[in-house]
Amino acid sequence: MRVSEIAMVTPKTVMECLMYLSNRGQDARLLAGGTDAIVQMKEKVGRPKIWINIGKLDELRFIREVGNEIHIGSLSTHTELANSKLIRSRASVLAEAAERVGATQIRNMGTIGGNIATASPAGDTLPALYVLDAELELQSFAKKRRIKIADFFLGPRRTLLQNDEIITKIIIKPMQENEIGIFEKLGPRRAQAISIVNVAIKLSMGSKARQCLAGKIAFGSVAPTIVRASKCEAMLTLGLLTDQHIEDIGKVAWREVSPISDIRASAIYRKDMAGALLIRGLYRLMKRWEDQ
Amino acid sequence: MPEINFTVNGRSVSVNTYPAKTLLDVLREDLDLTGSKECCGKGECGSCSVIVGDEVVCSCLILVGQIEGEEIQTVEGVGSLEQLDPLQVAFLECGATQCGYCTPGIIVAVKAYLEKLNRIPTQDEIKEALAGNLCRCTGYVKIIEAVAKAAKQQFV
Ligand SMILES: Cc1cc2nc3c(=O)[nH]c(=O)nc-3n(C[C@H](O)[C@H](O)[C@H](O)COP(=O)(O)OP(=O)(O)OC[C@H]3O[C@@H](n4cnc5c(N)ncnc54)[C@H](O)[C@@H]3O)c2cc1C
Repeated sequence: MRVSEIAMVTPKTVMECLMYLSNRGQDARLLAGGTDAIVQMKEKVGRPKIWINIGKLDELRFIREVGNEIHIGSLSTHTELANSKLIRSRASVLAEAAERVGATQIRNMGTIGGNIATASPAGDTLPALYVLDAELELQSFAKKRRIKIADFFLGPRRTLLQNDEIITKIIIKPMQENEIGIFEKLGPRRAQAISIVNVAIKLSMGSKARQCLAGKIAFGSVAPTIVRASKCEAMLTLGLLTDQHIEDIGKVAWREVSPISDIRASAIYRKDMAGALLIRGLYRLMKRWEDQ
Repeated sequence: MPEINFTVNGRSVSVNTYPAKTLLDVLREDLDLTGSKECCGKGECGSCSVIVGDEVVCSCLILVGQIEGEEIQTVEGVGSLEQLDPLQVAFLECGATQCGYCTPGIIVAVKAYLEKLNRIPTQDEIKEALAGNLCRCTGYVKIIEAVAKAAKQQFV
């Protein structure tokens, strides 16, 4: 398929989009910000017969509080997430992750829906979404379903998404007063870098100094999909988060991850860095909590 | 081939081309606006930066079919030879250009950045804002100086 032979349709409503997909799902591919899809088109992988340009579906561009949930339209860009008052105050770990994606241009173009659907093990918003207990709403012409983010990913670049479905929104649990979160990322440079390792942490703090009542830790880029570090999570509540205890938790991180070696980093380096990022994140969180 | 209509630097244009052609190629080949440059072709270097609406984006990763009805500003729309934008004057005064290949993209990115500023930015903020624009001559110090100067002028 030559690029000049690829057609494009621009649906005006989600329903119109789903109708196209149900008829032409095999030949079509959704196009949101294009920061993954167009790079791939140029690299001659994943060239569809038809682009379905969903960029004009303003119905999918929102960030709002609904009951005790936050609903994020899948077309929200990384810039919108990073700047949203609601996300910054009630889901700060996601704002931090969005802020670390690419650089200004990429954050202005790239969407959260695209980041999820691309299903890269290094996708920066994904660990944040894991610790915020995110669920995805997937819609086809015939039906709607809501699934947990951890169930969505089958492997690198493989998801449960059917070719007649789109991700319409992402639903997260807002953080409570006593909850704090952080996103840490290691790349070859600060901007424009695919994560070598990334981690999102969310802790519920108790009334005693450095007392953690519960916590969630999710690593990216160290396994085929995002991994929750359940052993580290269990250790969070075994004692106060003293500097020593933080070091001990960090030492366990290498047992939670199963990275590969690739052009960006060796497996051993990734294991070491997973622990280092976790320790750094926990230290910084304690500092923030104490400074509050 | 479909007709695609949009606005470039305040002028309505309509082009007949295939919809999966990049905006960058349309600007350069169909509209003869060769200020925007191709360098990496995959969103990493910022040489092709243009403003769509009020946000800076990489025109090498946008397909022209996606911009039907949009307003585009390219470097050709930032000042003119007769009347340079204050930002361009600052670049000249600081000597913030070497080979010049990255300059149009940087001017566009800075233009978008300055329009949104509500106070004088720090050096680190300027660096962060321009992290998506590479200069292979590595003339960053003067570029950052020029942006700081232009930003300050905006608030006096
Ligand atoms: C220079 C550069 C730097 C980058 N840096 C980072 C980084 O630091 N961190 C990071 O995580 N990523 C990074 N990326 C990758 C990319 O920007 C993000 O993954 C972005 O969020 C993708 O969103 P998009 O809207 O551009 O997706 P698109 O490219 O439009 O789409 C990607 C895929 O998702 C599908 N899709 C899009 N929207 C939906 C939807 N609503 N429902 C179902 N399927 C959908 C498309 O069909 C396509 O297969 C970078 C990319 C570039 C080019």
